[in-house]
Amino acid sequence: MTHWDQSSLGARFERADQYLRDAGVFYRKYDGAEGKERAWPLAHIPLLIDEVEWAKISNGLIERAELLETVVADIYGDNKLVQRGLLPPELVARNREFLRPMMGIKPADGHFLHFCAFELGRGPNGDWWVLGDRTQAPSGAGFALENRVATTRALSDVYAGMNVHRLAGFFRGFRDSLFAEARKDGGRVGILTPGQHNETYFEHAYIARYLGFMLLEGEDLTIDNGQVMVRTVAGLKPVSVLWRRMDASFVDPLELRSDSRIGTPGMVDALRNGSISMINALGTGILETRALAAFMPRLAKALLDRPLALPEIATWWCGQPTERDYVIDNFDNLMIGPAFSTSLPFDDQRGTALGATISPEHRAGLIERIQAQGFDYVGQEPVQLSTAPVYVDGKLQPRPVTLRVYAARTETGWTVMPGGFARVGSTLDTAAIAMQRGGQAADVWVVSSTPVEPISLLPKDGDKLVRSMPGNLPSRAADNLIWLGRYAERCEAIVRILRAYNARLAELSNPDLPILQHCRDYLTSIDVDADEPLPAGLLATIDSAVQSASQIRDRFSPDGWLALNDLQKSTRRLAERVRPGDDATRAMTVILRKLAGFSGLVHENMYRFVGWRFLELGRRLERGIQIARITGWLTDLDAPDGSLEMLLEIGDSVMTHRRRYSVSAGALSAVDLLVLDPLNPRSVLFQLAELGRQIEKLPGGNYNGQLSPAAKAALQLRTELVIADPEDMRPERLETLANDIGALAGLVASAYFA
Amino acid sequence: MTAMLYDIRLQLHYEYDAPVQGGRHLVRVRPGAIANLQRVVAASLSFDPPPDQSSNFKDFFGNDVSTIAYSNAHEHLDVKLVARVMIEEPARPANLSPTLAVLQTEITELWSLAPDSPHHFLAASRRIPLDPEIAAYARPIMASHTSIFAKTMALCNAIHADFAYDSNATDVETTPAEAFALKKGVCQDFSQVMISGLRSLGIPAGYVSGFLRTNPPPGKPRLEGADAMHAWVRAWCGRAAGWIEFDPTNAMLAGPDHITIGHGRDYADIAPIVGVLKTTGSQETSQSVDVLRLE
Repeated sequence: MTHWDQSSLGARFERADQYLRDAGVFYRKYDGAEGKERAWPLAHIPLLIDEVEWAKISNGLIERAELLETVVADIYGDNKLVQRGLLPPELVARNREFLRPMMGIKPADGHFLHFCAFELGRGPNGDWWVLGDRTQAPSGAGFALENRVATTRALSDVYAGMNVHRLAGFFRGFRDSLFAEARKDGGRVGILTPGQHNETYFEHAYIARYLGFMLLEGEDLTIDNGQVMVRTVAGLKPVSVLWRRMDASFVDPLELRSDSRIGTPGMVDALRNGSISMINALGTGILETRALAAFMPRLAKALLDRPLALPEIATWWCGQPTERDYVIDNFDNLMIGPAFSTSLPFDDQRGTALGATISPEHRAGLIERIQAQGFDYVGQEPVQLSTAPVYVDGKLQPRPVTLRVYAARTETGWTVMPGGFARVGSTLDTAAIAMQRGGQAADVWVVSSTPVEPISLLPKDGDKLVRSMPGNLPSRAADNLIWLGRYAERCEAIVRILRAYNARLAELSNPDLPILQHCRDYLTSIDVDADEPLPAGLLATIDSAVQSASQIRDRFSPDGWLALNDLQKSTRRLAERVRPGDDATRAMTVILRKLAGFSGLVHENMYRFVGWRFLELGRRLERGIQIARITGWLTDLDAPDGSLEMLLEIGDSVMTHRRRYSVSAGALSAVDLLVLDPLNPRSVLFQLAELGRQIEKLPGGNYNGQLSPAAKAALQLRTELVIADPEDMRPERLETLANDIGALAGLVASAYFA
Repeated sequence: MTAMLYDIRLQLHYEYDAPVQGGRHLVRVRPGAIANLQRVVAASLSFDPPPDQSSNFKDFFGNDVSTIAYSNAHEHLDVKLVARVMIEEPARPANLSPTLAVLQTEITELWSLAPDSPHHFLAASRRIPLDPEIAAYARPIMASHTSIFAKTMALCNAIHADFAYDSNATDVETTPAEAFALKKGVCQDFSQVMISGLRSLGIPAGYVSGFLRTNPPPGKPRLEGADAMHAWVRAWCGRAAGWIEFDPTNAMLAGPDHITIGHGRDYADIAPIVGVLKTTGSQETSQSVDVLRLE
């Protein structure tokens, strides 16, 4: 790499960052009350590891994963390790991660651990150490994949020439083993996410999309006669495997944390019945306890009859008198921290510090507490990390690195991802590795001396074609899709009215004219203040659309998501400087185009299946309501001069109207075109025809000619319009029509989201 | 040693403001068998409306739990327990309990995570934090006694003397610190304050849920809390003495008038009913308890 000049390096790295932005790779950073999405901090130069060295790491981690499985199975099983004096009972009984309700429950598939991560550090002498075992719900595997794609964008030529082991095979093996487990009882595989406010929600959605799993939240699930079921638009469907990405204690408010708002009541009961495989089992978080590291050497000796190939940092638990005395005697030279913490030593700034750095006034108190409540403390050898080159401020500089590696259980045993990601400190200080504090993540390349086989998740020739089963749309996702469609359409309606209003304001330059007053009154009725050049009511509607979309990130393309984000950002920027009149008219045209861009990306790229139908329903429902209402408002007998022109402009039907009704233009012709014309894609009748068609195609919508209540209601409304005359469509009738379409939305909701 | 035979009737009634769309509950009211102390002759638990699903299991502490689930709308829930239980009067052992220092050594040497292992009952639990003010109150009371048993009895008596029984002062959500500040409450508050004090001093202590005999024997006063479900405390008094049960509401050891439902670290482990309801409305609760001695 040394032979590239700086500008070529810069250009290469910009390609990688561009990829991550385009793919919408974010993580959520916690700073204060509101978590914000941040761009993923990629360190562009991969960490290279030779495959011979990698084999040692890989074998060591498999050995470790197997030992951890034995330990956790014993803790929740026979408790032989405590009885034999290998594990102090205090370490378990005082541990928040020891989940008593899980005691004695055997995992449905026989294993507690299926997917683990290990945080590794390399000492200055080149030896690898385990800094922490992640067994609760390890994150980052999806980010590792994205790191790989981004890094190869920057260094494609190098990558191609270097025999780097591919990551896809690891994911394929794990995916296949989860599907195989699910096939045994015919249920689905889901990723259980805490939801969009979680730090790594992007990754949950990404992995769900990549591996073809359902992305599920606690409220999507219900327990029916001991079986976990997902509420879908086609009714309750069984789930057999849940890859959980939330901490165990939140999974069931009934038997675990009663304050959990993201769990599923009865999940522990379902586990007791053995009807679901939980990846990993609830309670495995206990293995992350820092003090457990003090007992791993002893456990390895007793259970494996040899020391672990990949040992942990030397740790002394102060719950035992000898160890306590050692820690107090060597106070200055040890990292002193909470025994029951599950965070990595350098991630835990509040509770853990090198003894020598603790101020004299705190020191005495701390030693006193260690004497009195030793079980709450550990001393650990300070970590000295070796460094790797990182591209900072235009040049390569050494930074400390740790490595996160993933292991997955497959039908043939544990496999280790050949790669992972390296966390790189923002300074030479080891503590600066945490990404929440400016650290970065780098790709890890395991390099072979011989060519490696390229792997993809796409089926190979000869693979059997498997179609995924219907009934995989969770009700919550469908609900969000409807609302996304509605909010996007509502934005469009508001923008069209605002554009017409501002154009007249610029032309007439007298805000007190009746037509402008009439228009303002209408906007007020839908919570939009026309006196604001870019009203807060419009911004709020766009925010609502983004909010709905953010809960279903796994359901539409990154392009659609980015277009929506762009719409939100651009509108906010415009809001800061737009002036009423001409300027606002132009701004509305810009927003309208961006809205059309979003709708186009979503509608042209979404597979015409159940999910798309709900989005389409939302769009049609909202358009029907908006057109019916504005038509009523502007064809009122008291409506001021200019109302009809405005209506036709808002309804985007000026030209059609001129063509079709050149002789007898008037209120009746406008109503005819915007309400009753079956061929005008903006008419109410057109929306009702489309609504009826889509509703009948929903699950149970039309069962051998028997229509669902929503389908009947849609047919009735449509029929009424088909036989109506323009004279019938007085403003009161149009208001009723708008309400009836609203009621239709209610019928869909009660049939599919209840 | 005499055996006492009791007929127990318990009714819990929940009335909802608005119809509840569905719900799932765990019910812990069925008395369990305890070796050499309590035998359940018969027990039957019923629900109205009848649940759409129900099942039973034993929890970590060995308590009988019924899971009930409703999928349809309902406006009330009635839980009814009818049971006949035989209580053996425990032989009062000589005071075998050790000093605090010996107790702590004995705990350290106990390599067990069995449900009644004292290790589970030393740390703060969900409903019982270790409160420094309660610890400061308990310390001098217990300091003047040597054996764990005497220390614990002293705290039991002190709480009874210093606290007023007042069923309007607190509710099920009242924390030990709040009840301690009020110096008022009911059996749940007295027990949780006592447990907090004991644990602060390193004595393993747990929560016992149960019933009291409704009508006293001739010539004896009626005990406090006899018209509702009752709660008291058990403390681990060393390897030889084991668990001993104290009733701070009545300043006595639990005896043949105390019928046990089950054990936990605090109220949350053995609450008669916990549930997740699909509702936004509030609910009304009432309970009635009858414990009759059969002659």
